[in-house]
Amino acid sequence: MDYEFHWNVVLNAWPQLLDGAFVTLHVSVLSMLVGIVIAIFLALGKMSEYKAFSYFSNTWIEIARNTPALFQIYMAYFGLGAFGIHLSPYFAVFSALVFINAGYLAETFRGGFMSIPKTQYSASKSLGMNQFQVYRYVILPQMFRRIHHPMTNQFVWSILMSSLGILVGMNELSGETQRLQSLSFRTLEFFIAAAVIYYLITKFVLFVANLVSKKLFKGDI
Amino acid sequence: MRIIKKISMTIAAVAAVGLMTNASADKLDDIIKKNELNCGVVLDFPPMGYFDKDNKPAGFDVDYCNDLAKALGVKSNVLNLTWADRIPSLVSGKTDVVIGSTSDTLERAKSAGFTYPYFVFKFQVFSKPGTNIKTFDDLKNVKVGAPIGTTYETEYLSYAKAKGWGKGNYTSFKSENDAYLGLYQGKVDAIITTNTNLATKKQSKEFKDYVAGPFVPNYDDVVGIITKRSEVAFINYLNLFLVHQIRDGKLEAAYQKHFGTSAPESLIQSLRDNK
Repeated sequence: MDYEFHWNVVLNAWPQLLDGAFVTLHVSVLSMLVGIVIAIFLALGKMSEYKAFSYFSNTWIEIARNTPALFQIYMAYFGLGAFGIHLSPYFAVFSALVFINAGYLAETFRGGFMSIPKTQYSASKSLGMNQFQVYRYVILPQMFRRIHHPMTNQFVWSILMSSLGILVGMNELSGETQRLQSLSFRTLEFFIAAAVIYYLITKFVLFVANLVSKKLFKGDI
Repeated sequence: MRIIKKISMTIAAVAAVGLMTNASADKLDDIIKKNELNCGVVLDFPPMGYFDKDNKPAGFDVDYCNDLAKALGVKSNVLNLTWADRIPSLVSGKTDVVIGSTSDTLERAKSAGFTYPYFVFKFQVFSKPGTNIKTFDDLKNVKVGAPIGTTYETEYLSYAKAKGWGKGNYTSFKSENDAYLGLYQGKVDAIITTNTNLATKKQSKEFKDYVAGPFVPNYDDVVGIITKRSEVAFINYLNLFLVHQIRDGKLEAAYQKHFGTSAPESLIQSLRDNK
């Protein structure tokens, strides 16, 4: 290979890369947290006896799981734009990621809920707990402990897919990398640097997720 | 034993790759030997590069590719690139040369091998009807967009930075077409684009009422053909090719075909002066 790497170009652009990395971290973590909350409701909805609730959940999950993320991000930006609804690039990517995260996590959560024996519900009820308390103290902690690993998989996916933000001109890590490489044409260097940063972000998020899970759901993950 | 086998196989594979790369003749030889010119063009940038009604590559840059292949006496193979693909396509050997309206900045010339200029653009503001942009400074209060990684994006951003406008009003788009789509949908009030692309788009019924505004101050976008920086002999050939394009009337022909008028004297003079 007759290519000389010029790493000092990347070092000079370090502040801009970090700005981009921060946006990536921001949008992916936020979309995960919101996605988790919605996913709990979707999972309960899919198992619910109320027709409207379960239809709604089913439709959401089906669309989120079976269409490409690229399509959803593009639709959130240019698709809604055609109807005069203008989301900012950040919000378009954020809502698309929330939509997908919620859809995928809902199925994971449903598996978690179903792995908990029905008898625990009636046992908790007989102790005088109301519906909210049953979920808050008995079901959810166990469910989250069981689905911790599949859930963190989704975290990783979310971080990496935020790179599709480049499609709608979002200034996250990939967008920033694209812009920087066009100034100097040091494409390989910038892409390698971006890959390393993505790796570090992913490791960092997984580390924090493990800590939080241990604290909240008490027990080995 | 298995580990020794694994290691020796790896060494053999690396050595084989090393031998293959050592044997490379220079680019000019390679192209003539394989009887094919892989020429990269950005086909998202009318009238320089686009897909015609039959979905075939067409445009000023495509004509230059075909002229070059003809001069070399080889088959022309036009490859569609995005702005960001230009350098990686050269480094990876997918293209031999990129005729893709590449601005010849000194920063980029540290990475890619540039020829003398082959075209000069002006950057121009294109805005939706009623936005009323008389000078470039009027952009301060409107939403502005441009395609990511282009020189006009860089120019706008550095101008905005110098004036202290901030990035709040700015949106970048993935491609030239997306920038026009964003303008059409009203995501932005104005985009920065090139005078040539603007003139083409203004003829379409979607954009006929849109307004061609001021040029980016004090900036001529001078573009060259690029290839690998190390291919000095090939760059020499390309420079002579560009001289012949003017001398043999090929520039005039391509300009007539794609812009509908004769090539301006000022353009030809600045290309002759290499500036």
